[in-house]
Amino acid sequence: MARIVLRDLVKQFGAYKAVNGVNLDIRDGEFLIMVGPSGCGKTTTLNMISGLETPTSGDILIGETVVNDLDPGERGLGMVFQDLALFPHMTVFENIAFGLRVKKVAESEVQSRVRAAAETVNITKRLETMPRQCSGGESQRVALARTIVTNPRVFLMDEPLSSLDAKLRVDMRTELKRLHEQLKATFVYVTHDQAEAMTMADRIVVMNGGRIEQVGAPLEIYRKPATQFVAGFFGMPTMNFVPGTIERNGSGAVFRAQVGDVTQPVDAVVTPELIGKPVVLGVRAEHVVVGGGGTGAAVRLVEPLGDGTLVFCDYGAESLLVAKVDADSLLKSGDSLNFRFDPPRTHLFDAQRGVRLN
Amino acid sequence: MTNDPSAPAPSRARSAYSGRRARAPIVRHAVLLAWSLIVLFPIYWMVMTSFKDSGEWVTWPPRWVPYEPTLLNYRQIFIPADEARGTLARQATEQAFSIWKALGDSLLICLVTSFISLLLGTFLAYAISRFQVGGKYFRYVILTIRMVPPIVIAIPLLMYYAIMIPYATESVLGFRISLFDTYVGIGALYVAVTLPFVIWMMLSFIDEIPYTLEHAARMMGAGRIYVLRKVVFPLVASGMVVTFLFVFILNWAEFLLALTLTYPDVTTLPILLNKFQSASEGRLYGPQAAIGTIITVPVVILGITIQKHLIKGFSFGMIRK
Repeated sequence: MARIVLRDLVKQFGAYKAVNGVNLDIRDGEFLIMVGPSGCGKTTTLNMISGLETPTSGDILIGETVVNDLDPGERGLGMVFQDLALFPHMTVFENIAFGLRVKKVAESEVQSRVRAAAETVNITKRLETMPRQCSGGESQRVALARTIVTNPRVFLMDEPLSSLDAKLRVDMRTELKRLHEQLKATFVYVTHDQAEAMTMADRIVVMNGGRIEQVGAPLEIYRKPATQFVAGFFGMPTMNFVPGTIERNGSGAVFRAQVGDVTQPVDAVVTPELIGKPVVLGVRAEHVVVGGGGTGAAVRLVEPLGDGTLVFCDYGAESLLVAKVDADSLLKSGDSLNFRFDPPRTHLFDAQRGVRLN
Repeated sequence: MTNDPSAPAPSRARSAYSGRRARAPIVRHAVLLAWSLIVLFPIYWMVMTSFKDSGEWVTWPPRWVPYEPTLLNYRQIFIPADEARGTLARQATEQAFSIWKALGDSLLICLVTSFISLLLGTFLAYAISRFQVGGKYFRYVILTIRMVPPIVIAIPLLMYYAIMIPYATESVLGFRISLFDTYVGIGALYVAVTLPFVIWMMLSFIDEIPYTLEHAARMMGAGRIYVLRKVVFPLVASGMVVTFLFVFILNWAEFLLALTLTYPDVTTLPILLNKFQSASEGRLYGPQAAIGTIITVPVVILGITIQKHLIKGFSFGMIRK
């Protein structure tokens, strides 16, 4: 069983708490991606799972065993590093064979297993070259083969694609996903790239300030962010946030923006104690409906994306509101328009704590 | 001749500019050449003197090349006096000397102490680089040890070596242990004096190796010693060679501490060179030059080797960051 459980995990560097009470259950065979901004504690958490960092408090369980005091090599994990960490003085073959040589595996078995691993990631032709002669993508594959060859129960990956160029990164995503399906091992993957997280993960863990903000499937996180931070972190362009208050409106309630003439019925979600409280209404660009009535605004900037066009408009608030409109739209800077929000697709957050209210 | 007065102007400007550019390397090379001559002249003079017979050592005007080149000086230092008696005319009035003892002592002391220093220094540097042993500024503190001039420690050490340690051992253990004029005494000191250099140099090499390489090896089940053997040492090998040679040269040419703390039982080459005197002829410049040449040869060879390794050692940034 390659289930990993993190229990109240804390890591403190001096007075600074890098990881502040993380509880997580990583299921056997899943592709779990930890995502968050720099310094959110995701790499420290991964390093604690790997054994390269010792937790200040809390437990790490692999299977049913607490592994806090086990050396990295005794945990049965494989790890791919951000800088790949290929041994520059060894050939690709010896790099891949390293883990087997440590375990004193017989030479014939080393030969066959290294070749099998190299075949899995399609690097057989480069076995006799040195790492410095490999391209970025090839080095990536060598690092993967080196991890695969020892058949670990869990693969830990620390931003392994960050050194690749954009196109190669997209290709490697597919490759990693394929590898995960082929190996059926547990993948724990750390990245700050939300696109990587969305495309590859079975489940995403969003971290911020040493804590977990939300755990969930990619679409669940995108469609129902648990906090304003998660809502803002996922999605391009960033979700629109409109600060305002909830007001009573007859028997129901309505959201009214602080600035500008923006109102939105929020009947279904509002409890009586929320009336009059400051809240933030979140809406993604694609859920802003342009035209057909609503609040008036002036177009400030137009960004064509090909499949759609982003329109940045000024309705009087501090930040511009972004709407994604049809690519054939003829809107240009200086035009005026009306917008409204698609009611079921709006998100309501507590202005102080940032938690989701609807 | 052209009628257009503006036409030649740019070409004159260009030629003046390119003339300056062309002259720059000539000037640079002339200065370097002059400097090389100044630096190399004493070495040239020493080598030439080592092939001159006694009559030519101090002639005026000086002889730039030996009039009658001879190997007598080398014969005199390599063949013990009693064996050579009768073949060397000026031998009778001179003290007996041989380079073999000093050559052997110097080689033994320098090889052993440089090796011990390298071994200790490498492990210490590793600990400082990876575990911040001694705190953040320890690496700089180590260098301050080198700021103490050897003359400051020479006399206090003589007191310890020749008086205090023998006295202490006699009163505690019942027999005298003297470190004065012993291999252990001078060897231990050479290790202590060169250790800061080794640590400092090895630190720069070990710092170059990304820690993740070791993490990767440890994730694959390698223990600390295995990681050192298979990952760290192979990557700092050229650095270790450079450091060894550097320390070897330091010890090989060390004079002050050896002068204070050794002779006659332990004699290194610089000390032998200094003791070289004759009652009848004052300084024996010929044999002295021959010994000087013998001392210089390994240093020159090692120096050239170091240059090659230095380039390799300091430029092994082949690790993809």
